Amino acid sequence: MNPYRCVFQMGIEKSLEYRTNFVLTMTSSIFPIMIQTIMWTYFYGHTDATVSTGYTYSQIMVYTLLATLVSQFVSTSFAWQINEDIKRGGLNKYLVRPVHYGAYQFCSFLGEKIPQLLLLLLVAVAVIFFSVTVFGLTLSGTRVFLFVISLLFALALNFFLFFTVALTSFWLTDVNHFFATISIVFVVISGGILPLDIFGQKAMLLTKLLPFGYTTQFPVNIINGRYNLQMVGIGFLCQLFWIVFFGLLSESLWKKGLRHYVAVGG
Amino acid sequence: MKKYLRLIGVLMKLSLMSQLEYRVNFIAGVAVELGWMLVKLLYVAVVYRIGVNISVFTPNHIQIFIGIYVLMTGFYMLYYPNFAGLGQMVQSGELDMYLVKPVSLQFIVTLRQWSFPMFLTNAIVGSILIITGWQKAGLAVNVKQILGFLFLLLCSNLLTYSLFLIPYLMCFWIVSTGGIESLSSALWDFNNMPYMIYGKWIQRIGTFILPIFIITNFPGLFLMGNLHPAMFVWAIAAPVLFFILARILWKKAVRNYTSASS
Amino acid sequence: MEIEVKHLKKEFSYYKKMVGLSGSLHNLFHRETLTKEAVQDISFSVAKGEIIGLLGPNGAGKTTTLKMLSGILYPTSGQALVGGFIPWERKNAFKQRFSIVMGQKNQLWWDLPASDSFYLNKCIFNIDDQQYIRTIEELSELLEVKELMNVQVRRLSLGERMKMEILAALIHRPDILFLDEPTIGLDIVSQQKIRNFLRYYNEQKKTTIILTSHYMRDIEELCERAVIISQGQVVYDGMLSKINHLMGDKKVLTLKFTEDISIHQLTSFGKVRECKCREGILELPKEGLRKTMADILSCLPVEDFTVTEIPLEESIALIFKKEGAVL
Repeated sequence: MNPYRCVFQMGIEKSLEYRTNFVLTMTSSIFPIMIQTIMWTYFYGHTDATVSTGYTYSQIMVYTLLATLVSQFVSTSFAWQINEDIKRGGLNKYLVRPVHYGAYQFCSFLGEKIPQLLLLLLVAVAVIFFSVTVFGLTLSGTRVFLFVISLLFALALNFFLFFTVALTSFWLTDVNHFFATISIVFVVISGGILPLDIFGQKAMLLTKLLPFGYTTQFPVNIINGRYNLQMVGIGFLCQLFWIVFFGLLSESLWKKGLRHYVAVGG
Repeated sequence: MKKYLRLIGVLMKLSLMSQLEYRVNFIAGVAVELGWMLVKLLYVAVVYRIGVNISVFTPNHIQIFIGIYVLMTGFYMLYYPNFAGLGQMVQSGELDMYLVKPVSLQFIVTLRQWSFPMFLTNAIVGSILIITGWQKAGLAVNVKQILGFLFLLLCSNLLTYSLFLIPYLMCFWIVSTGGIESLSSALWDFNNMPYMIYGKWIQRIGTFILPIFIITNFPGLFLMGNLHPAMFVWAIAAPVLFFILARILWKKAVRNYTSASS
Repeated sequence: MEIEVKHLKKEFSYYKKMVGLSGSLHNLFHRETLTKEAVQDISFSVAKGEIIGLLGPNGAGKTTTLKMLSGILYPTSGQALVGGFIPWERKNAFKQRFSIVMGQKNQLWWDLPASDSFYLNKCIFNIDDQQYIRTIEELSELLEVKELMNVQVRRLSLGERMKMEILAALIHRPDILFLDEPTIGLDIVSQQKIRNFLRYYNEQKKTTIILTSHYMRDIEELCERAVIISQGQVVYDGMLSKINHLMGDKKVLTLKFTEDISIHQLTSFGKVRECKCREGILELPKEGLRKTMADILSCLPVEDFTVTEIPLEESIALIFKKEGAVL
């Protein structure tokens, strides 16, 4: 077969296939949200769920629609890359250059997020518009502004959280399963599937004390109008505190790990 | 038949031995599955928190449904790696090595590897959910109940195997199968809740056209004495029908492979 | 005849792609099917107990032919009988009688000792315990892998793994054996050992063997007869000794010099294939090679040299020419 023709043929087949793949993947990402909205609609239609959860029907719907977006937005995938760098000696090329590895990863993480951000923003605008018209969500300029700020903080916090986790690669031999588990568990305890403060006072307190809720639940509930300005202020302080905390923690882990890395010889 | 049962035994043993070669991976596999379990249990927690009744079913009943869903996930995961690896097998031509063996090709290709870490986690948690729910709901415990329930679980397994094999057969025609994988697992998650929460049309489609709802709902309905006799018949007929369909499509796919591949 | 192949043909179809984006769109609605003939018209036969070599360059149709004879592929047209069976009907009785080893595909379980995979094959082929134990005893002895039976396959060397693959393929004692590039990628010693085993096994069991390889050495040592395929057609079917003659018993000598050399300095030693600046390639007869080499080394400022066989592709081109001349 003519090699050029062969490449052409492969090209078109590939693009067609990727399109099929894309459509299938998109469809399948809609299903979980669909299942959840149906579930909540049923629950709120048949019980007095507002009392037991503390969320109104419209709040829970907005939450369901937005939490998936936010947890997508803050999600990270660099832990595997960092593990590769550490295990296969890819780290060396950073060590011999005047760059800070963490800063490098942070920039590359942000770089990856920008195009994703544009897409997500479009969807978010649609979702929020939909929520305003269908679920009677009331919006104010301040709240949208605070939401965007909290989202940026959430992004930074999630970066440092996962960067800290990723640095355990210095000491763990097989991290793939560990990272996979952590990702799932973090999504759940961040409120990425459903708000955890529906489980009562204790759960609410816990989500406020632990760092995880500040990556997903907190931003979503700002737009949801569940917090007054004072509470948002406290939330921002907590976000900042955790960012600094995990920033320092990762920095000290990095230093320890590097000593270990050099001692073992990569 | 005897040969095949024996082969399943040998294949299971070899799979388990392979997985135990990497003990850490085995334990880590369990850990990941426990992470996913957290997601499923979250729904149980919500149901109890709200104290919702779905149709005539109390949270205790709903717990049984979710338990069956978890248990069936475990059974599905037992042979799932074979489905997920089908595309790779077709592309690498590894299939050739099985085409020349005097044994059913579909059997050896789809039931070759058995994955135990995921099965164990789901089977244990699922069984606990079912048994405690059964008790709390005060449902009868007698031979007829247990045998009927187990029989329907068996039918559900056959249905799961047939129904979820079909989309993976597309591997014989297209190269990237990631989309198939995520779509079929998203469909599977429709059973996270009893099917009564869905609208009439979704219920009908999920029962008669793409009968995923049968898999976890019918055994539960039977336990609770709410399975209509006609539906009992359908719970047996659907797996047989879809198995035949999967078989026909499999043969078509293999014919395509043997006549077109290079 | 144990194996009879008559006018076997295999076409693969693919789609024509027109250039550019408009072509892509056009392709979506209307595709022109083109066909490629991997195997055009192949006929040969193999007697019981015979071992023949199927020879040819990459893409000549060797593997496609073997796949059809194993029932992995349906032919477009033509007939074949292997041990009295039509292969692509894939009857179990047929599968019990033959075996195929493909150098680039493995059937052993990677993380387990090979013996576990053997046991699985025992169950698949319904072999009784007695025969199974005897076969394993005998073959592991012959292949010198007795001590390796309980070592995980992933820890075996490439050569050891190939021996195990061969063992796995022989557990049901097939009387027809297809080997597709069984020595590919192996070191010389392993290649030799596998050849020795195959020769012995063929002599002892009277197994009919078809072997493909693009190492001339494999074929030379094992087969008396070779079928050479090129571009999906048989270009030669006959005794190997005759091929050697056709190939002219020549070697290729590549030389590197410390200073520039002109072509007339080389012509006196043999046929010059190439000569540029500090490099020269010569074609020399095998006979007297030592002496010629010594002469070259003493006369010319040689820095480095390598001696290689004439590549098979060239030899086949040669055969093509000579056969054409005979006809």
